[in-house]
Amino acid sequence: MNSTEVAERLKSMPDGSSIALKIGETNFADNYVAALNGVLKEFMPERRYTCIYVTTTTPSHLCKNLFEMFEMDVSNIYFVDAISHIMMNVSTQMERTTYIESPTMLENILLKIEFLLKKLANENKLLILDSINTLAIHNGNRILAEFLHILVNNLKSKGVFTIILGVEERNSDEISNMLSLVCDDTIVVK
Amino acid sequence: MTDVLAEKRGIQRERCKTGIEGLDNILNGGIPRGNTILVTGSCGTGKTTLSLEFLVHGALSGEKCLFISVTEPSSKLLANLIPYEFFDDRLIEQGLLVFIDMPALYERLGLRKTEFTFEEIHMLVNAISGIVRELQIKRLVIDSITSVCFQLKTEEKIREFILKLGKALSDFGCTSLLVSEISPAEQRYSMYGVEEAIADGIIILGNLERKGDLLRTMQVVKMRGTSHSRAKYVLDLTPIGILLVPLLKGGMGAEK
Ligand SMILES: Nc1ncnc2c1ncn2[C@@H]1O[C@H](COP(=O)(O)OP(=O)(O)O)[C@@H](O)[C@H]1O
Ligand SMILES: [Mg+2]
Repeated sequence: MNSTEVAERLKSMPDGSSIALKIGETNFADNYVAALNGVLKEFMPERRYTCIYVTTTTPSHLCKNLFEMFEMDVSNIYFVDAISHIMMNVSTQMERTTYIESPTMLENILLKIEFLLKKLANENKLLILDSINTLAIHNGNRILAEFLHILVNNLKSKGVFTIILGVEERNSDEISNMLSLVCDDTIVVK
Repeated sequence: MTDVLAEKRGIQRERCKTGIEGLDNILNGGIPRGNTILVTGSCGTGKTTLSLEFLVHGALSGEKCLFISVTEPSSKLLANLIPYEFFDDRLIEQGLLVFIDMPALYERLGLRKTEFTFEEIHMLVNAISGIVRELQIKRLVIDSITSVCFQLKTEEKIREFILKLGKALSDFGCTSLLVSEISPAEQRYSMYGVEEAIADGIIILGNLERKGDLLRTMQVVKMRGTSHSRAKYVLDLTPIGILLVPLLKGGMGAEK
């Protein structure tokens, strides 16, 4: 699936949808770029979304560099970064970025998202969670399921479009079940 | 008694919205108007911050609000308000937000002893309720009631003070937060035990340690006149005010 196909699938869904975006492990880098291009370069500008990008995988300044390399507009992206601290990588503090000490602080992730939702009250919003797999490394399944449930329901009630990224083959049955409980649809990029 | 009858007939008591969205949700709309609430917790848990935000939101909605500061000079408290995005200097200029230092009030009443007599307690209650009536105050904070109780000493006197004050305030439809300071290890909600028994509601602020992470928490354990969540919430103090999310239960927590 290429970036345009990803974007077309997303465009068929209304505000407030929640989507599991699963990225195939074979040729992961190509799939990841196709998925992000589809979301950030094609889908996001069309809906005029402001994006809240929650990363528990790649430090936000590296995400930003990557997005800029692929000529995505990062001026409308706010990062919630729960990984830089534990990677001892917070010397480069960026604007529009909130740092969280560790990906185990799930309530703090919810609180920082809540803060941004209020600050961006008048914008149409898209939230990307990158990724369910890294959250699962740092958290037990029960607390993660509770987190996802509270997060997605809250976003849905506020009409925020939600995309949860995951690696397709790496998703255990438990994670797949969690995603199918909270997501309206699944898109597989491979 | 009339409250109880009204509630039995399913009549909702009018609410005093705290303006803290998460707390108003926990309380199903806000604090029942006229209630006297104990806001309790150890040092640094956010009691003063919560109380100030409660008053600022009241003032913003046009209600007259009074902060009686017992331990800190009010000039210092004002400095705490500046970072808030929703705070507006004009609230003070317009007299919607009033600060009084308790030591100045003691001075005015000639209360200089370390232990007040019953007569002096009545003077103090009359003085506070007089100000509330005169200025038509709808929201009151006393920060902290523990420091006042310190000068009352006995259970009987504390009971007399809080009951008399609570009655007067509720007659004026004034919703009040009494800040109570406790040590982190404290098993009860107030220093003397009396305060918690006679308050209409108790909000506890605290810290919770989970696997090395320290979280700020809030819990409403009692609130007369409304159904409410008794669950523990995690709180963040931000420039746009207090934010709350549910405490996730999947992980096991140990109280600190
Ligand atoms: N808007 C804010 N953002 C971040 N920290 C804050 C904010 N407001 C207060 N704090 C901090 O929170 C702590 C609790 O403050 P306070 O309300 O005075 O606690 P308490 O009255 O329970 O002793 C203080 O250390 C204060 O610096
Ligand atoms: Mg204080």
